[in-house]
Amino acid sequence: MSFPPSSVSTRARPRLVRTLLRLFTVQGSWNYERMQGIGVGVAEEPLLRDLRAEGGSDGVAYRAAVARGAHFFNAHPYLCGLAVGAAARAEHDGVPPEQVERLRTALCGPLGSLGDRLVWAGWLPFTSALALIGVALGLGLPAVLGFVVVYNVGHVALRWWALRAGWTYGAGVAQALREPLLQRATALSGPAMALVVGAALPLVAQYLSAGFLGWARVALAGVVAGGFALLWWQRERLTGLRLGLALLALAALAGWIWP
Amino acid sequence: MSLELQLLLLAWGTLVGLDLVSVPQMMIARPLVAGPIAGAMLGDVGTGLQLGVLFELFQYDILPMGATRYPEYGPATVAAVTAAHAAAGTLGLGLGAVVGLITGMAGGLSLHALRQVNTWAVRRAAVALESGDPRVLERLHVASILRDAVRAAGVTALGLVLALVARTYLAGALPPHGVALLKVAAVGAALAAGAAGTLRLVGRGPSLRWFAAGVAGGTVVVWLR
Repeated sequence: MSFPPSSVSTRARPRLVRTLLRLFTVQGSWNYERMQGIGVGVAEEPLLRDLRAEGGSDGVAYRAAVARGAHFFNAHPYLCGLAVGAAARAEHDGVPPEQVERLRTALCGPLGSLGDRLVWAGWLPFTSALALIGVALGLGLPAVLGFVVVYNVGHVALRWWALRAGWTYGAGVAQALREPLLQRATALSGPAMALVVGAALPLVAQYLSAGFLGWARVALAGVVAGGFALLWWQRERLTGLRLGLALLALAALAGWIWP
Repeated sequence: MSLELQLLLLAWGTLVGLDLVSVPQMMIARPLVAGPIAGAMLGDVGTGLQLGVLFELFQYDILPMGATRYPEYGPATVAAVTAAHAAAGTLGLGLGAVVGLITGMAGGLSLHALRQVNTWAVRRAAVALESGDPRVLERLHVASILRDAVRAAGVTALGLVLALVARTYLAGALPPHGVALLKVAAVGAALAAGAAGTLRLVGRGPSLRWFAAGVAGGTVVVWLR
């Protein structure tokens, strides 16, 4: 993804790196009132330090911007940097406060939806399923370590891109969301995830049932089919956790009374 | 199990619990990572991998969006591996699943409680926050992260105690076919949760065809092996 040549000046880079590091903690103070707001404010603060010289010796502009930065915000954590960078740039550009607030509010929905599709329903299950396949095929621990490395290459790259894009485009950050590479990645992530997770399921079933005898395999097929049907039709009430606990309780009871 | 080893598992579970939401979300909280590393600490990577895979399937049932409430399977997997390792040859996978699912449920409840405490702390600091004092902001943030670390340590400790209780009182209490039934229930529930969770993500759009192709491909590989 490309940026204008002078998008990130040498002077801004250390502050962007500090903000990036803080963004890794962006959900540390997640709460029901401001959601990610406090974390976003903490991450944005290094980018606002230049404002201390403006608005008088007591740094009125800086403090007002810090206060705004900590207001309600909720989006995908990996893409928060886009809002952080954009809001900080807008504060530097002298955009009116109410417009900065509107920018932040407007970014919540699109960044949440994009991140959920791209990461939670794309990159994460895709790489995790690749690791599941690796483990099922006997690769063991290296498959798991490979997952951590590969997943995080994408993770850190996305966070850095988001922060840089926000800082580069400021109030016009919507442009960054129309990047062709981002659009293509979003379009590809769903089918790629579906293919790999689909392939992982039979392999994992074989891996986990390796020690099962004849009757146990038949029982397993019944439990999987019945459990799936229950989870599918009762999805509002039943979760995997509840199904698991209920089945384990039933199995313990049956095993105990079975002569 | 030595005290040093239990402290090491507690430290790992705490890091894993912190990773889920607070710092740095690099996915060591995924059961597939948390389990094998706990297994390696215990000198039993095989059990760690098995329970890691099992709970990873349960994890597919969860989409961690916004304010949704969900179980926490990272520290739960650490506790599950501890229980299964100590009970190897008797209950193994089934016992690990029991301990892990209960710990996962407790982890989910503790996350909700933590968020409520954080909300209370933010409300208390509202005036100082509106004044734009960066020190108040940072103090609030760091305190919340420390609270999460304490929470994660508490959940892991609870799981390790549950593992101890389970292997003391449950191992040997069930006959062999009971043990097999427990394993069938654990693996069956995990596969059902993994399949249902994935299909919910896939939906009825064009990705469904890719999912079907994947299942067909995976089945062929299973058949050929």
